[in-house]
Formats: sequence, structure tokens, C-alpha cells
Amino acid sequence: MATNKFSAQWLVDNAVRGTYWLENWLKIGWLGGKRGPFFIRSKLEQFPWMWNIMRANQLLNMVTRTRSGPYLEANAVVITNLVGSIMEMVDGIFARKSDTVLHEDLVPPEILYGMGLNPWMAEFLGIVVPLINQTTMEHYIDVAENEGIPPDVCSLPKSTMGLALEHELPDPVAIISSNMPCDGGMNSYSLIEQQYDAPAYRLDVPYDFYNERAIDYFVGELARMIDWLEQNTPGRMDWNRMRGVCEERNRYVELELDLWDMVHEVPAPMAAEPIYLTHLMFGIAQPGHPRGTRTMQRVIDLASKIRHKGGGAFGDERYRVILWNPPTLIFQDIFVWAEQAYGVAMVMDMLTYHRHPYIDTSTPESMLRGIAHCMMQGPMARHTRGPAENFFSDLFDIYERFNADMIWMAGHIGCKNTQALNGMFREKCRERGIPLLFIDYDLSDTRIVPPEGIRRQIEQFMETVMNAERLDSGREDD
Amino acid sequence: MSRVSETGFSGLLDLPLNRLVDKARDEGGRIIGYTCSYVPEPLISVDGLVPIRMRAPGVSGTPLADTYMSSVICSYTRSILEFALDGFYNELDGWVFTASCDHLRRLYDNLSYLENPPFNYMIDLPHKISEPAISWFHEELKLLAGALSADFGVDTGPDALRNAIAKLNSFNAILREIGEMRKEDTPPISGRDFHEIVAACASSPKYLLKDKICKYHESLKRNDGTDDYRARLMLVGSQLDDPEYISVIESVGGLVVADRCCLGSFPGLAHIECGTDPLRSLAEHYLAKTSCPRMMEEFDSRIENIIGIAREYRVDGIIIETMKFCDCWGVDSGLLVSALRDRNIPVLRLEREYSLSGEGQIRTRVQAFIESMGK
Repeated sequence: MATNKFSAQWLVDNAVRGTYWLENWLKIGWLGGKRGPFFIRSKLEQFPWMWNIMRANQLLNMVTRTRSGPYLEANAVVITNLVGSIMEMVDGIFARKSDTVLHEDLVPPEILYGMGLNPWMAEFLGIVVPLINQTTMEHYIDVAENEGIPPDVCSLPKSTMGLALEHELPDPVAIISSNMPCDGGMNSYSLIEQQYDAPAYRLDVPYDFYNERAIDYFVGELARMIDWLEQNTPGRMDWNRMRGVCEERNRYVELELDLWDMVHEVPAPMAAEPIYLTHLMFGIAQPGHPRGTRTMQRVIDLASKIRHKGGGAFGDERYRVILWNPPTLIFQDIFVWAEQAYGVAMVMDMLTYHRHPYIDTSTPESMLRGIAHCMMQGPMARHTRGPAENFFSDLFDIYERFNADMIWMAGHIGCKNTQALNGMFREKCRERGIPLLFIDYDLSDTRIVPPEGIRRQIEQFMETVMNAERLDSGREDD
Repeated sequence: MSRVSETGFSGLLDLPLNRLVDKARDEGGRIIGYTCSYVPEPLISVDGLVPIRMRAPGVSGTPLADTYMSSVICSYTRSILEFALDGFYNELDGWVFTASCDHLRRLYDNLSYLENPPFNYMIDLPHKISEPAISWFHEELKLLAGALSADFGVDTGPDALRNAIAKLNSFNAILREIGEMRKEDTPPISGRDFHEIVAACASSPKYLLKDKICKYHESLKRNDGTDDYRARLMLVGSQLDDPEYISVIESVGGLVVADRCCLGSFPGLAHIECGTDPLRSLAEHYLAKTSCPRMMEEFDSRIENIIGIAREYRVDGIIIETMKFCDCWGVDSGLLVSALRDRNIPVLRLEREYSLSGEGQIRTRVQAFIESMGK
């Protein structure tokens, strides 16, 4: 909980916040210093989204303003490392133009790293930029809709298509996508391919992937993709380099599992952004990067510190929630607010919860099988493909495992895959006596439901279903 | 041209399971419902199995289905679930799905959860037409054949399959000939009537309709046809099983001479080449010929195919009809419109719900489209 102004803790918190604030500016300035002001100015015209990236300290302020002590620092650590990685990625599209490959969000980049290529996740901006400025993607959504893309298509692929139509994605030497996670996402690549006129490879993931036949088929797909990339890009597979990436990824995952072991305790010594933002960046966007391992180690150290002192991450944990579906991008500080308002700790979410963490690095074949497992059975991929059991079995597993009190379903209106399970979802939760909130909203568009609308839905649920006491009355100024 | 149906097939479209389905059942046939053009019809036609394309004619609302699937899902799938919950399909002996799109996959999930049909099968359909994908699909069809044999005791062996393929080829050849009559300057059949026949054939046991179709085909040969139209149109889109939709288009002077949709002549009536392994032939045929936007890497071939048909049938313009909330067609049609306009082919995109609505708007837009072509 927030500390009293001018107390010793308040001073320490502000010193920590200030240190990371400065570090973020140094990281942003590093790119400017390396490339020079004229170059950066021309790139800011070509990629206007870079202005938002430069405002990353807004995100730092958002996630640290009401938090304190090691929990505050964990949030700051995550944001600062996120900024470091983004700056590195942005620099990569300038420095390594001829080997930049655009890849879909559920096609992880380990193989591209192994081939010495420079990956850029096409959906990355649609995910990260709204975290800093929640309305930015609305322009790109409008661009896509004006081009004839129906308004009901998921706003993440629509944002990405809008960016492609505006030519604000990096020019790729090749494009890699798949049939995941949904029809809208899959089909958006027809437009992206046309806009960039780059050769494209599409990975085909079977519907039912929990069997060896499906894994064999998909390992074949990955092998064919590697051959194709070798023919169409300067990339060449170096299995030793690939092994290094996978081993780094394994180290990160081992630490992440340690964090989960801590988080299942009541109260949780860590919650919200340090759990899911870390995974989003270093488990999904940039796996196998030493920065991810360092970040996770630091988060664990801070969680241990909280645990050692006793008490939870934010002091007054009253409810534990599982967030299902991707996080509410347009309401980034949802958990900052929910902690203050009702003592809600977000202990696990759909994107973070993976099931097949380790990659066997003993042979090229075993690495490909491990990556095939991770991709086919990875978070979201396994929930949006295959039968409905995939979606529900995980959900109820983590509800038990993390001692949750309720589930919040981020009911993104464009996610037809999950919307079509609403009825089953309600009934299955009712059978188990699990309080369930469906948050009606759109992932990237505040014009559908603004953050205040989401807040009202949560307030009504907390007060009528959970009979929760409001903790933050009179704290609006914090 | 008369817009009133003269085909004699209209009565077969009033109910989801018509009187011929009842007859087939009385004769010992086992009725298998299916919902997508990727389901290989011959495989569910063997040894007394009767495939029926699932429809929800006259559906007036989907309140129950909306409760489970929400209202942002394609209205075809919601309508089918609504009818299933209302018991309209209780006489079915089984369902066969393909993992074609998000909506059909979730229809399968909801149907399994709510109705738990005794035979409810999902075919894992690849999204590519590569050699490994065809082999995968071939394996899938073997698994389905095994499940059909186990559950219904039917013979799905090569001879039975060859026989089923030959029968379907012979039936479709007649429909194809009827469809090709529309290449003429004075087509003897309207788009509405042709669609009625195709939909009726998909909704009925074909062996009970063959004589009627042959007679109708002969009668058309004696028909002088009509030149009472302003523009020759091609219809492109997804699930359409209501002839009245085409009737509305034709009521303002359009004549639909070619149709490339789930229940149209392209590509559903194409001849199936049967090789030494009939299952493999089915896998190759259904994966390669049924070019739905759910297939990756096929946009260019799809557009070439559409343009080829448009030229062959000398169409003046193309109407793309897409079901609201269908992401596959939704995204693809935006690109199709641009690609067709780039080739100077007039094109109109109409978004629609499964059941016919907004006839006045459709009429106005089609009329304006025809006028924009100077017809």
C-alpha cells in the first residue's frame, strides 16, 4: 500500500523510482547517442510510434506510484529491462536491416536467433505501445477498417494491419507466421505480406496437438521453415548458437518456476506486472536473452526479501485473482488500482502459464521437438486451438494451484474463440463455486469500453459478488 | 425471366431434415450431418450412410445459442446450435466436423457439451496444401473411416469408397451441366433456381433425388432461356443456403450466372479423380479444391480462380457476400475487393447474416452496383 508522504519509506521509494527513471532515460539516450540526432529524427518520422517508446517512464510511474519497498523495485526492474530490450530491438531494425524477419507473436523467435537473424514480432507494437499510451492504436485500427477490414476483427491484428498499411513496421527480409492464435490473426498476414512484398512462410499447427503424430508433423514444419529461411534470407542455422539460446531460455524458465512456487503462497510475495510483464517480454517476445534471466533473478530476490520480512507484495492482500485471456492493454494499471481499491493480488494469468517449459538441448532434433512443444502447447496457442478442454483444464488447474479466490475473464470483444465459450465458462465456474467476472472490453480500443468502464464492472463485481470492502476511500490523490 | 421457382425442389428446403431424409432413415440409412465443404462427402456416403449438409431454415432468432456462444459469432453456427438445442436434429445419427474455422470448432465444442451426440467427430484439417499436409489429412481420413466402421459397422474399404466417389461424380456431373447452361447468353435457369437445386441436393439423400434432377435437366434443354436481365453477376462467399437471397439480387435485374460459395457450383461440384488409394484421392481433392480463405498461402490462387470463372461465364460484376463475424472471409474479402478492382472487375461487397434480412438495403445496393456498371 502507498506510504505516507515524507516518511522514511516514502523517501526510499522515491529514490528507487528516481534511479530507475534515470536509467530508463539513459537507455533511451543510448540509442540517440549511438545513431545521432539526425538519424533518430528521420526515424521518428518514419516510425512515429517511437515517440511513445520514448515516454516509457510514464509506464514506470504508472506501475510504481502507489507501490512501495521491494515490490515497487520489482516493478521498476521489469520496466527498466523492458525499456532496455525495446531499445535493443529498435536498434536492431536500423543496424540489421538486411536480416530482419517479421514474425507472428505466437511463433517464438528462438529459431531465428539460432540462425543469426534479427526477429521483430509484428504484433509487438500493438501490445507494448498501448501499455504506455492507451489510445495510440486507435489510429491504426481506423486505418485498417478504412481499408475494408471488418470492425469485428480482433483489434490486435487490426492494429498490426494498420501499422503495415502505414508502413510503420520494419521492412523485413522475410515473414514467418502461422495459423495461431485465431482466424483474424492468421488472415491478417495476407495483408501484411502484400504490403511488404516479402517472401513468407506459414507454419501449420494441427488442431489436436497432444499426440506424437502432431508433434512429428510440426517438427517437420519447423525443419521446412529452417530450410526455407536458409534459401530466402542470409540466415544460416548454427546449432551451437541455437543451443545457447535454448539453454538461456531454460535458465529463465527455471527461475520463473521458482517464482511461481513463491507466488502460490498466501499472501503472495510478488504479484501483477513483475509476473506477467516479465513473461510477456522475456518469455514470449525475447526468450533466451540473458537480460530476461537477470530480470527474473532480480524479481525473485525481491520476492524473497518480501517473504523474509513476512506479508505480501503490497501488505494488505485480501483477494487473489487469476486473469484469463491477455491482459487489458488499454487499462495497464488495472492491478495497481485493484490492489489499492480492494487488496486484489493478480497471481497468475493465461499468457504466463506455460506447461512445457524446458527444451532438451542434447541434439538438433531434441531442440526442434522442444520448441515444437513450446509453440503448439504454449499459452494462448493451446487455449485457442484444439477442443474446449484445453481452455478449461488449465484455468481450473491454476485456480487451485495458486489458491485463487476468483477469476477475471478479460472478455475482449474481438476474441471470438473465447467469446464462443462464454456459456460453458459460466456454467463450469458455477458448478465449482468459483466467482467469475467477465470484463466486457476491447483489447486495444478505448472507444469500445474506456478504462473507467472496466473499473465500474470490477467495482460492481467486487461489491456485489465478493462483498468486498473498499480500501481506498479518500486516497484518490495518491 | 420468371423469378418464381419452377424447379419443384423448394419443398425440400423448408425443414432442416426434409421428408426425403425421413424416407432414407425409414429405409435403414444412417444420417450424418456435416457443416463444411471440407468434409469429404463420399466417405460419409458409404454403405448406407447418408450425408446431409446442416441448415437452419427459417431460424428467427438464436437466444439460446447466444447465451452459450455470445452474439459476436457467425450466425450460421449460432443458428445450427439453436436448432440443435431445439431438437431439430434429433434424428441425426452423427455429426462430422472439420476444424475449418474458429466458429465451427466452437460449435463442435458447444454441441458436445450441450447435446453430447452419440457420434460427434472432428477432422483435423491442415491450413496448407503441401505434400506433408495432404499426408496428414489422408491419415485423418483413415481415422475417420475407422471411427465410422467402429460405430456404424459400415464398410469403408477401397471398393466401397470408389463406389461412393463414382456415385457423387455422376450426380455432380448433372448439376455441373445445369450450372454450365448459365454460360449461355440466354440462360435457361436463374441463379436463384440453380441455388435452390444445389441446396436441396445437399440437404437430401442424393440417391432419392437423382431421377428428379435428370428430368429437370432434360426439361431445361427444352427451355429457350431469357435475356431479361441487366447484368451477369458472379456470387462469391461463404455459407449460403437460402435461394431467396439470390432472388433479392435478381429482383433488380442482376442474373447470377456463377457462384463460388460453400453451396455453389465452384468448387463443390468438381469431379473427384479417384486413384489407387481412394482415401488419398479424397484427401488431395478436398484439401486442394475447396479453397476457402481459411487456407494459408492460397490467396493468389483463389483470386486467379475467381477471375478465371468470371471470364468463363462472362460476368459483368462480382458480388462478395460475407457472413458477419467471419474473420476468414472478413479479412480476405477486403483484399479480394482491392485485387479485383485492380483488374478492372466491378465488385460489390455485401455483409450478411445467415438468415435473410435487410432485403430493401440489398436491393438498393445491388441496383446501384448495376447502374455503376452502366447496365
